[in-house]
Amino acid sequence: MSKVTENPRGNCVLGGINAVLGAIDRACPIFHAGPGCCMQTSAGESGQAGGKTPFFVSSVSIPSSNMLEKEVVFGGEDKLRSTIQGAIEVIDAKAYFVLTGCTAGIIGDDIVSVVDEFRAKDLPVYAIETPGFAGNSDYGYETVFKVFLDQIVEKERPKQKNLVNLLGIIPNHDPCWSGNFEELTRILNKLGLEVNTFFTQHQGMEEIKNSGAAALNIIVNPWLLKDAAEQYETDFGVPSLRIVGLPIGATDTTAFIRQVAVVLELDTVRVEAVIAEEEEYVYNYLETAIGVLSWKRFAVVGDSNMAIGLTRYLANDYSFTPLLIILTEPMFREEDKERIRNRLTSLEYAKAPTILFESDQYHIAKALAENEEITLLIGSTNEREIGLQKDIQCSVIFFPITDRLIFNRTYAGYRGSLTLTEDLYDNL
Amino acid sequence: MAMQLDISDIGTRENRLGSITGYVGDLKDLANQSNCGSLKGGVRCFSQSSTCLSGCALGQLSGIRDVAVIHHGPAGCSVTGAQIYTVTKQVAKKRGVVNNTVYIGTDMSEEDTIFGAGDSLHDIVVETNRRYKPKAIFVSSSCATGIIGEDIDSIVAELKDEIDVPIAAIHCEGFKSRIWASGFDLSDHAVLTTIVKEPKQKRNKINFKNFYESARDDIIALFKNFDVEPVFLYANATVEELSHISESLATVCICGTLGNYLGNGLEEKYGVPYIRTINPLGVVGFETWLREIGKTIHKETEVEQYIQAERIKYLPQIEEVKKELKGLRAVLGMGPGYTFEVSRVLQELGMEVVWAAAWHYDKRYENGEIPPAMDYLLKNTPNFEVSVADQQNFEILNILNTYKPDLYLSRHPGSTVWAIKQGYPAVYVADEYMIFGYKRTLEFAHTVLDTIRNRSFEKNLAKMVKLPYTDWWYKQKLDLFLEKTK
Repeated sequence: MSKVTENPRGNCVLGGINAVLGAIDRACPIFHAGPGCCMQTSAGESGQAGGKTPFFVSSVSIPSSNMLEKEVVFGGEDKLRSTIQGAIEVIDAKAYFVLTGCTAGIIGDDIVSVVDEFRAKDLPVYAIETPGFAGNSDYGYETVFKVFLDQIVEKERPKQKNLVNLLGIIPNHDPCWSGNFEELTRILNKLGLEVNTFFTQHQGMEEIKNSGAAALNIIVNPWLLKDAAEQYETDFGVPSLRIVGLPIGATDTTAFIRQVAVVLELDTVRVEAVIAEEEEYVYNYLETAIGVLSWKRFAVVGDSNMAIGLTRYLANDYSFTPLLIILTEPMFREEDKERIRNRLTSLEYAKAPTILFESDQYHIAKALAENEEITLLIGSTNEREIGLQKDIQCSVIFFPITDRLIFNRTYAGYRGSLTLTEDLYDNL
Repeated sequence: MAMQLDISDIGTRENRLGSITGYVGDLKDLANQSNCGSLKGGVRCFSQSSTCLSGCALGQLSGIRDVAVIHHGPAGCSVTGAQIYTVTKQVAKKRGVVNNTVYIGTDMSEEDTIFGAGDSLHDIVVETNRRYKPKAIFVSSSCATGIIGEDIDSIVAELKDEIDVPIAAIHCEGFKSRIWASGFDLSDHAVLTTIVKEPKQKRNKINFKNFYESARDDIIALFKNFDVEPVFLYANATVEELSHISESLATVCICGTLGNYLGNGLEEKYGVPYIRTINPLGVVGFETWLREIGKTIHKETEVEQYIQAERIKYLPQIEEVKKELKGLRAVLGMGPGYTFEVSRVLQELGMEVVWAAAWHYDKRYENGEIPPAMDYLLKNTPNFEVSVADQQNFEILNILNTYKPDLYLSRHPGSTVWAIKQGYPAVYVADEYMIFGYKRTLEFAHTVLDTIRNRSFEKNLAKMVKLPYTDWWYKQKLDLFLEKTK
C-alpha cells in the first residue's frame, strides 16, 4: 500500500538485482524496462554505496530495451529479442540476465519465452521475471538467489568438505561489501576453509554453479535469504548457519568462528590458535589508544546487519552506551524483528536501548531530535544534517553514502573493528 | 506554434520540436535534412541504458526552496531523491540559506498496480502538506501509474480545494519520450502554469535559468555593471521569487536545452524578451550574448565598455594558451545544448573537432527556428562528423577507437568513465559554468592542457582493464543497429 516515505533509502527490485549482478565477474544485466530504470537503479544502489561503480558494465553501458509508448501499446517482446541479440554480439559477457521493469511487468511481456529462444541455442541467458514494483532492493537481492537456485546451481557436483558459501552481505548496497567479504574470507581461510562469495576476487558463474557442493552456507545477515536457505537444503543438501548480524570486533568474531567450527567439526586446536592470534592482534592495538576516544552515548541508524554488528561492538567491546537503534530497511515478518530485537538487547549495558523499525526520514529525524542524551550518531549521509543540528559527533558508515569513497574498507571481523575505531576518531 | 499553457500535460520534444535520438552523418547533412523536413531519426534495435524525463523534471523542481515533490511510483523511481536532497542542501548552505524542500516517494506496491492507489495518493499529499507546510507541491506520475491509468490530474484538481498552496501534476511517465530533456519542459510548464503570476510592475531583474548557480557571485557582479540583478532559476529560488519572474526585463539561460521552454513561455505569455543568441561559453559566445542583453535592456554602451576592459585583461592570455592547444583533436558527447556550443569553443581555441555526439537533436526550438549554436557552426566552421544518440556508450567507445582523439569531453560522468577505461584522457564538463565568460574560458583551456599533458593514469589503467565490448563490435560501423523509421 502506498505511503509517505521521505528520502527512500531502498530501491525497487530492479535496483537490488542490478546491484548484485554488477558484482558477478563479467555478468551483463539486460533491462527490459523504460529508458530511465537502469540509470535510476544504478544511481540509487551502487551510486549511493560509497562512490564505486561496478567494474564490468554499469549504468550507461548496460543494455536496455528503453521501452517507449510503442512497446507499451503493442508489446515489447520484439524489442527485447533484438536487445538480447545485440547484447550477445556487443558485450563480451559470460552470462546475460534479463530484468523486468514495471512497464514490461504490467503489460505482461512474456520474457521467459523470448529468453528460452536463446537458451535453446545454448547461450547463457537467464530470465528474471520479478518486476520492479514487486518489492524493494532487499527483495531484489533475494530474487537473484532464487534465480541462481532455480536456473544456475548444478546438482551433480561432488561435495567438498572444506568449501563454504559466504552469503548475506549485499554487494553494491552495503558500502563496505567487498572489504567485509575479504576480511571474513581471510578469517575462514585461516581455519582451512575455501570460500565462495560469488562476488569478490573475480568469482562469478563457476562459483555459483559449484555452490551446491559446499558443506555449509554461512548467512551473515539477521533475516535475509530465508527461502534460499531452505532451497539450498532441500535441493542441494547444503545446510545453513545464520549469523545474526555482521561480526565486528573480538567478541562477536570469535563467537562467529566458534559457531562455524562447531557445525563443521573443525580441529579445535587450530581454531583456538587462530582466535588467540587474532585477538592478540586487535588488543595490541587497542591498548595503544586507551582513552583517545572519549566515552559516548550513541545512536545508530541503518540496515540491521551492520547496525547489529556495530552496536554490539561498541557496547560489548568498547564500553560505549547504546541509546537508540533505528533499523531502516522494510521488514515484514515479525519473527525477523523479534530476532533482531533479541540480538540488540542481549549485550552489555546499564539500560536497554530503544529499538525502532523505521524507513521514513521524517520519523527518523524526529526520533533523533527527541533524544537529548545522544553524543555520537552513526548513520548515513542522510543523518549528517541532523548531527550538525544537534551539534554532536556524526559518523557516516551506512547506506546511502554520497560523501565518502570506499574501496576495500571493512568494519567486519577483527581488523575491521580497528578501522571502525580509527574512523570514529577521525570524525570528532 | 503557440505554446499550450492552459493544460497540465505537454507534448514531448519529439512531437513539439521534431527532436530525434538516432542519426549518424555530419553537421551539414544534419542541418540540410532538418531544413528540408526529411530528417526522421533512426531507432536502435539494440540499445544501452538511456535516461527518463523524470530525473530532469523532478531534479529541477526539487531544487526550488521549501517545496514538496511527491513521486508517485515504486521505490526505484524516487531513490535518487536522497541525492538531490543532499546537493540542494549543500548548495543552500554555501549560499547561507536554508532549503527545506522534501522529496517524497509513495512506495507503490504490486497491489497498487492492480487496484490503483489514487486514494492513498490523496492522503499522502494531505499528510505531506500537514507535516512539512511546503510553499508548493508537485505530484509526479511514473511509468507504473501511467500504464494503470491513475488520474493524477483529477486528484490534484480535487486537492486544490483542500490545500492553499500551488499544487501541480507533473506527467513523468518515463516511456513517453526518448528525450530526457522533455523533463525540463515539464518542470517549466508546471512553474509557468501554477506559480508564475501576472506581472504588476517591471523589475530591474534578469531571469537566469541554470542548474546549480555555481557562478552566482560572478554573475551578480557582472550584471551590477548594467544596473540589473539576476534571479537564478530554479536551484534555491523561492516560490515567491518565481511568482514574479513575469516582471523581469529578460530571460537568459546557460543551456538552450534547459532554458528554451521557460524562455519562450515567458515571452509568449508575458512579453518578457528571451535572449536567443549562442550561449555565453567561450569569447565569441559570451560577447554575442552580452551584447544582445545590452540591446534588450538598453545598456549597449555599458556592455561595450565592459567588453573592452575585459578583453584587455584576458585576450592576450587566451591567445598565449591557444598556441599550445593548436591542432589537438577532440571528440565530444553531450546534450545538444552543450555539444554544439562546446564544439564552437574548441575550434575557437584552435582545436579540431573530429566527432560531436549529441544526446538528442532538436530540429527547431519553440519559436520555430533552428538552435542558434547549430546556425553559428554552419556559417562559421568547417564541417565535421556528427552523431545523435541517447548516450549509447558502445557507440562512443567505437568512435574513440576509430578516431583515436587526443581528448574526449562529456557532460555525463558515466560517459567519461568509459573513455578513461579505454585509455583516453577525458574532461568531465560537470559545472555548467566551466567555460562561461573570459576568465573561465581561459581556465578551461588550462584544464584541457592539464588533462592531455599528463596521461599516466589513463595509460596505466587501460592496460589493466577488461572492457565489456567484443573485438567484433570495434570493427563494425557505427550505424549498424540504427534502423530508419518509416
